[in-house]
Amino acid sequence: MKRFVALLAAGLAAWGAHAQDTIKIGVITDRVGVSKPYSEPSTEGLIFGAGEINKRGGVLGKKIELLVEDDQSRPDISAALARKLIDQGAVFILSMSLTPATQQQQTVTMESKTPQMTPMNSGDTLTTQLPNPYFWQTGPLGSIQIATLLAHARSKNLKRVALISDNSDLGQLLARFFRGGLEKSGIQVVSEEVVPRGATTAEPQMQKIRAANPDALFMAGVLTAENVLILRAYRQFGLKFPIHSSYNLSVPVYMSVGKGLVDGVTFVDAYDPDKAEVKEFVAAYKKETGKEPFNLHGYGYDGIMMVAEAIKKAGTTDKEKIREAMQALTYKGVMGAKGMEYHFPEGKRAGFDPNGMVVRVYEGDKQGRVIHTGQK
Amino acid sequence: MKSALRWVAAIAVLSAAAFFMSDYHNDVYRKLMLWVALALGYNFLFGVCGQVSFSHFAFYGIGAYSIVILLFQAHLPLPVAIVCGLVLCVVFALVVAIPSTRLEGFYLALATLALGQLFIVVLNEGGSITGGNGGIANYRLPDIFGVRIRGPWYTAVIATLLVGTLALLWRLDHSWFGRACRAVRDNAEAAAAMGVDVARVKVIAFTLTAVLAGIAGMVYAFVDNTVNPPIFGIENAFLLLFMVIVGGAGRHAGAVIGAVLLFLLPFWLSPVVGHHQALVFGVLVVAAILFQPRGLIGLWDRFSRSRS
Amino acid sequence: MQDFLELAVGAAASGCVYGLLALAYLLMIRPTGIINFAVGEWAMVASFGGFLLLSRYEWPYPLGMAAILAFMLVLGWATERITVRPLVEKGAPLLAPILALLGMLVVFREAISVSFPPDPHPVPFPFGLGRLEWGPFGGSYQSFFIIATTLLVFIGVWLFFERTVAGKSFEAVALHRRAAALMGINLSRVTALSFAAGAGIAGLAGLLVSPNISAHYLMGIPLAIQGFTALVIGGVGRVEGALLGGLLLAFAEQMTVRYAPVPSGFAQGVPLLLLMVFLLLRPTGLLRARA
Repeated sequence: MKRFVALLAAGLAAWGAHAQDTIKIGVITDRVGVSKPYSEPSTEGLIFGAGEINKRGGVLGKKIELLVEDDQSRPDISAALARKLIDQGAVFILSMSLTPATQQQQTVTMESKTPQMTPMNSGDTLTTQLPNPYFWQTGPLGSIQIATLLAHARSKNLKRVALISDNSDLGQLLARFFRGGLEKSGIQVVSEEVVPRGATTAEPQMQKIRAANPDALFMAGVLTAENVLILRAYRQFGLKFPIHSSYNLSVPVYMSVGKGLVDGVTFVDAYDPDKAEVKEFVAAYKKETGKEPFNLHGYGYDGIMMVAEAIKKAGTTDKEKIREAMQALTYKGVMGAKGMEYHFPEGKRAGFDPNGMVVRVYEGDKQGRVIHTGQK
Repeated sequence: MKSALRWVAAIAVLSAAAFFMSDYHNDVYRKLMLWVALALGYNFLFGVCGQVSFSHFAFYGIGAYSIVILLFQAHLPLPVAIVCGLVLCVVFALVVAIPSTRLEGFYLALATLALGQLFIVVLNEGGSITGGNGGIANYRLPDIFGVRIRGPWYTAVIATLLVGTLALLWRLDHSWFGRACRAVRDNAEAAAAMGVDVARVKVIAFTLTAVLAGIAGMVYAFVDNTVNPPIFGIENAFLLLFMVIVGGAGRHAGAVIGAVLLFLLPFWLSPVVGHHQALVFGVLVVAAILFQPRGLIGLWDRFSRSRS
Repeated sequence: MQDFLELAVGAAASGCVYGLLALAYLLMIRPTGIINFAVGEWAMVASFGGFLLLSRYEWPYPLGMAAILAFMLVLGWATERITVRPLVEKGAPLLAPILALLGMLVVFREAISVSFPPDPHPVPFPFGLGRLEWGPFGGSYQSFFIIATTLLVFIGVWLFFERTVAGKSFEAVALHRRAAALMGINLSRVTALSFAAGAGIAGLAGLLVSPNISAHYLMGIPLAIQGFTALVIGGVGRVEGALLGGLLLAFAEQMTVRYAPVPSGFAQGVPLLLLMVFLLLRPTGLLRARA
């Protein structure tokens, strides 16, 4: 009898706790589609971050409740899910899926005046294609990536370079901005190639690049398997010009799947493992989950932290006040170079500091040290 | 006259439902109706006429992109844009249909599959005309006679499209054309011997259903006010085929059942099984085909037979 | 010309992989008329097997390869038993098993997707990363390995059909099912064997190509499409057609990228255009079946 009462009491308490007010934050991620390799770790970092926030007492005295939806990387489903989350009372939506999906959600958030943020997409056009004051992007933009790579390569006096990418939407977008950045610096792009998804080799493309005799090769692609093909062809042909890559090469899987291929390749990253905040984050994550996080986890973590900060600063769950607070926010997070702060200057809504990326190099098969910071 | 009233009543009921739904349910409802319309058209092409085509969904995309490009890049007035869009659909459909009459079965399937993929390549490489990988956004339906159609009213437009499609296909099905199509599907040589112009029947069926898909596409363009290549990808062509087969090819009701079930299934599965939902989806589809190879409509038939 | 020779071996290797997949399709289509698009996913399953046994657990290559191929034979047999046989016995229209197999495509892909992390996984090269020069031709060890293995398989299959009784009965079923049944040939056994063999060969293709392209859950569909395209080009009638089709496709793909004066993005469309033209002009493929 006593046990039954205890059980009943526990049940009532749990029910009571559930019925208590929470702050609902919507998360749209991809669990089964093409964006999964990036969405999954990012979202894990986000969920961990939400757990941390709740352990410290939540925001404005209430716990964060994450409403997670799976859009399967289908943009039309994405928009419908955004509406669902808003109907369910989400005060903020975090977009953790493909760039076109994030774009499609914007038509919904703009119409319903709901704050939305992507902490991981890096397509520059997300904040410029639609005049949506409720949308922010804190992922490292393609334009920042190329500018940082070029700043590092400045000493190398590059005159003629080759550019290679894949046919994914983000790969094409990054290629566009890489080209723009290169041409702005007076560097001529003598060869631009594309490796389509599902290709069995990149040798024809690399032959064309070789024939153009570039000073360096810039990789703008984001598909891991296809990037490995490019690196393989590069080694097969015994090519020697340096390779500078987008942030895709910062994903640790290259250390296993690209063994023997990545030595000496420089890549731009938003993660400095030497940074104090990173060390704290890694230790806490390992303690909580037993697993080792990597840079992608940090994007999601920073994202939820910033949302929590904005709500705290707003002092209310009113969407308009949250919008103002987010626009005015400055935040030092896990991602970015040492000392970098996210902020949204002059009404712009892309928050990653242009000087916040670092250039790292592969030493052997390991991701090595930071060899350059920012755009200077 | 009586049947016309029935269709109007159907439109009224389907549209009225929209006014009682939340934003989210409205969104899902609209997209569901568009998929049902597509499935009905595809069912006619595939189930009634026996043409295995994977390019049907591409015409959805052609309709959507052309209305957006004509309205916002060529700046044509709405009625002109609609007509031009229709003409484009007809032209593309003929370009595909006429050579296709020489192909059968899986050759036709492969050719149309290649076409569907080619469409995506063109969209991605279309530069500033198609908006490339990012597609086109930041537009909305222009006012018609000064009235802004939005929300549940736009859902009514979609309901009209759906019922219109069904009505048209129903009439066709019960006409000599429907009989000719079935004859071609079952045995093209025998049909030719009976005096049916097989090539002409195929071309008309193809073009007609392609135009219906194109119109649906035009309507879709203003549902999310975005068009981009991933929306029209080749996986959707497979999904459409699944819908028609699982529901029951050759029967309008089958197309409706298949479309409703397979479109809504991920929404129902996701909260229940989380990231296993695609796996469960696949298993359910296989089970449905194994259990009822001629389509789930067979269950309904059995049920209504046992009742009478 | 130099570049062509340099690409030739690699292109031939890709062509062999496509050819093996086309052969897998062919082995299943001929006796039953069923197109099994899941061959790409079978290749993927074998690749993941390769990752597990060869990369993670570091089994010796021949042992791992044998184990994976044995598993694939069983998988093919099981697939036929579960998704094809019930439909054939029920007298379902031909399209039904084709669609059930499309459904299995999703099942295989998702089963792998939920069991492994989403990133690509490495599969080891049996002979390492070295390069071999052979006269004017040069290629990686892996390319030569792929070509050699494929030639062995095709010779074996060809001999099976031409020289053995079992192979002839296979042909008989392909030519006329009812007549074959009347002559006492066990139709369901032939079907089961054809699926097992198809899975084994598709698995081999996956194992051969995955050291280059890595094992990942999205690799199936592009392979399935390329294999099918190779089949159409070569023709369903003859085993050699599959290899011919695969080689032609691979060369067309790679030479287009290398030499065609079209912007890179459009180069992907050229094999598709080629395919459509081919279908319109010669749908039965290049090699006609024997009378």
